[in-house]
Amino acid sequence: MTPQHPLGPRDVAPDDLDNPFWDACQEHRFLIHRCGVCGRSYWPASCCIDHGSDAMAWQQASGHGVVHTYTVVHHAYEPSMADRVPYALAVVQLAEGPFFHSDIVGCDPAEVHVGMDVEAVFDAIDEQTVIPRFTPVRHGAKDDS
Amino acid sequence: MLSGRFAVAGLGVTEQGRGLGHTTRDLQRQALELAIADAGIARGEIDGYIGTSSITFDDVRYLGLAPRFAYTMQSGGATAVWSIINAIGAIMTGQAEVVACVYAAAPTSTRMRRADGTTGSFGTYSYGYPRMYGMVGAGMAHAFHARRHMHRYGTTSEHLGAVAVTQRDYASVRPGTVGYQQPITLADHQASRMVVDPFRLLDCCRDTDGGVAVIVTSIERARDLAGTHTVVLGVGTGHNIRNWWTGDVYDLHDDIAPAAATAFAQAGIGVDAVDVAALYDPFSISVIMQLEAYGFCPPGEGGPFVSSGATRLDGTIPTNTGGGQLSGFYATGFTAVTEGLRQLRGEGGATQVAGAEVALVSGHGGNGGIQNTWAHATMLLGVDR
Repeated sequence: MTPQHPLGPRDVAPDDLDNPFWDACQEHRFLIHRCGVCGRSYWPASCCIDHGSDAMAWQQASGHGVVHTYTVVHHAYEPSMADRVPYALAVVQLAEGPFFHSDIVGCDPAEVHVGMDVEAVFDAIDEQTVIPRFTPVRHGAKDDS
Repeated sequence: MLSGRFAVAGLGVTEQGRGLGHTTRDLQRQALELAIADAGIARGEIDGYIGTSSITFDDVRYLGLAPRFAYTMQSGGATAVWSIINAIGAIMTGQAEVVACVYAAAPTSTRMRRADGTTGSFGTYSYGYPRMYGMVGAGMAHAFHARRHMHRYGTTSEHLGAVAVTQRDYASVRPGTVGYQQPITLADHQASRMVVDPFRLLDCCRDTDGGVAVIVTSIERARDLAGTHTVVLGVGTGHNIRNWWTGDVYDLHDDIAPAAATAFAQAGIGVDAVDVAALYDPFSISVIMQLEAYGFCPPGEGGPFVSSGATRLDGTIPTNTGGGQLSGFYATGFTAVTEGLRQLRGEGGATQVAGAEVALVSGHGGNGGIQNTWAHATMLLGVDR
């Protein structure tokens, strides 16, 4: 059935394995799942392709990445999309390596391009749920020294 | 070596189109009847059944079969070739002698469930967390490949349009396709509305209803039957989850390299021996990237290659000569299987490749947990000399 609230991670995830990630989002922290043997980062909850699951742990990540590829959605495939199009949907390559799917917010969809520097912002989609979305890094905006 | 030991002894293709008004099960039955008649085999000789529709528990009573095994399998658009691989495996291990692989779908004759829980004439699917951000359907996932290809190689919307126009030209002279007698121009493509950038409407295939069935058996058994059989020269598979780990998943349409290597090694031929290609093509970019991956043109040159006319009937590799999924009909992986078989049986009509003896068939679909990590399956078919 259609959830009465905006879709959150509990509506689309197969189980609870990624809960530490979504729980950290409540505190505006972006985590990655990292292998303690080789240091390779993964997202979502994964099993290291070289070292298995024994040393996997959630760790703080930078929340930064670049747009690896993207599309701008113009067609409303579902009635619920009609007042949202056009919007940019991207695969972000996180600074630590893994891919993360997100929409790109805070800019005109036409500005989105491959290689664009982006960072996570945290969006409270309802009273209980915070999810990360990605937005362009505005270079020089904060550091003008 | 697989080469030459197994054959597709029968092909059944129902009417394919939009709003046919038949149910999925009835289309399965129709396709099976046609395949049995085409093979010239007694119904009772079918001792293996592989269902490839989205029906999880397939009731073979309606099909009138009494096989030694009956199961359904699903790997998206790779299922068609995979079902033939599984049929061969069953025969090789002594589980059956004659296997029917049957597909049908009736998406445009039934109300479909959308990812948001509503229903309508067009369905959507989605899986996993990208759904929260508005990722539904296959178009967006394929657009990710297209955008990377444009970024890396300068592929243009006009290149994508060349695929759409070429395949519509094929379909426009092939009765029974959605594009029959409806040719389009590149200007039509460029004027069609943007759906999921960079795909315009004419870069996307449409759902159609229809059924397809094939009868798989040993070459010896096939030669004894009255119908025309086609030899399975080689089969291979690869999975794009491999490229997820290396970060190449969006730069590679699928993991075609191992699939192609296995199939061509079994067949004992090179890509130069392929006379006609039937490539899985839900979106225009799929043809460009597969032509490159199979070695019909160098990496990055698929767009100019198609624009040059290389995939037309008088080109170096006639491709999707029945219009493909884009303009022919969408029977998932069975669109390509059907066209590969038709060409080698000499049933291509106005778009028959003269003297075609070897066909390349591909399929992709299923997933490794996230969209774009799809399975790929390759099949090389040949005329029995």
